[in-house]
Amino acid sequence: MIAFAYDPSTNPLNNNEWSFPLLECIHILGFTLSIGTIAILDLRMLGLAFVRHPSRELAKSLAPWTLVGLVVMLISGPLIFSSDPNMYLRNISFRLKMYALLAAILYNYTLHRWAALREPAPAVGKFVAVVSLALWVSVVAGGLFIAFF
Amino acid sequence: MSILSLFQWIQSLGFLTQLRESAIVYPIVMTTHLSCIAVFGGMILMTDMRLLGLALNKYTVSEVVSGLRLWKRVGFVIMVSMGALLAGSEAEKYYHNPYFWAKMTFLALVGVHALVFRPRVYNQTEEIDRVPQIPARAKAAAVLSLVIWTGVLTMGRLIGYYEGYKPDAPAVPAQVK
Repeated sequence: MIAFAYDPSTNPLNNNEWSFPLLECIHILGFTLSIGTIAILDLRMLGLAFVRHPSRELAKSLAPWTLVGLVVMLISGPLIFSSDPNMYLRNISFRLKMYALLAAILYNYTLHRWAALREPAPAVGKFVAVVSLALWVSVVAGGLFIAFF
Repeated sequence: MSILSLFQWIQSLGFLTQLRESAIVYPIVMTTHLSCIAVFGGMILMTDMRLLGLALNKYTVSEVVSGLRLWKRVGFVIMVSMGALLAGSEAEKYYHNPYFWAKMTFLALVGVHALVFRPRVYNQTEEIDRVPQIPARAKAAAVLSLVIWTGVLTMGRLIGYYEGYKPDAPAVPAQVK
């Protein structure tokens, strides 16, 4: 298995009691923005909100905000990881979270984007939206379970 | 009955004791709480951004507020129920945790915000859409909402870091007889 020859006690994150929890708050705000905006689009694809406008229009309006949220979360996340990389690498929940995150991001910019922009049959759009919500919830679950398993 | 004894009684309830001792249900309840923050918190953020004129400008304020209102309510109910389960299962520890009370204060401010701004902003979206500029009171509602909800989130996260209360030590010094 990969392991870093690195002493976490030299990391500034571990030498200030406020930096870690505040970084976590920034991480949560970041994924609230990205997952929240993706969920709004999913609601549209499920026919549950903003039905008077095409989902293509909503997708274009929300995309920059989703990206901002993703960037915040992909900066704060690796910083949190750097506080104790070998612990995270050994943690099964963390590894599952990374697979789920990779799948969720790839899905969001391929199938999900295609379905939001091209507007296939409503049943297809609904299926794509449900898978999207499930993938993102599994990323959140993976992150939370790091502390338990 | 003091608040502390009320909290101790809540914590002793059978299902909350089971929740506290469960290795799997407890993190699932927490995951549900956090997923609601992600999904429905994002809707609060985007509503505020629309009121500030920074996002979703192709949609009217009415469309954004009414389109997301039901889903924000559903999310709020699930989020608060899960949060109450988590706090209830460790009520005595939470009683001694200042961040818990700070979070409750911010949640009370969410209620005050609703009382102040619902009649003036959220129930007047059609008037807001008719005027060329977004009124200052709508922008104030959005900024305060962002501040208060960030406060709820931050205090909520800090609850887990408080180490001031040691359950093994007596809460009050033993009296000398």
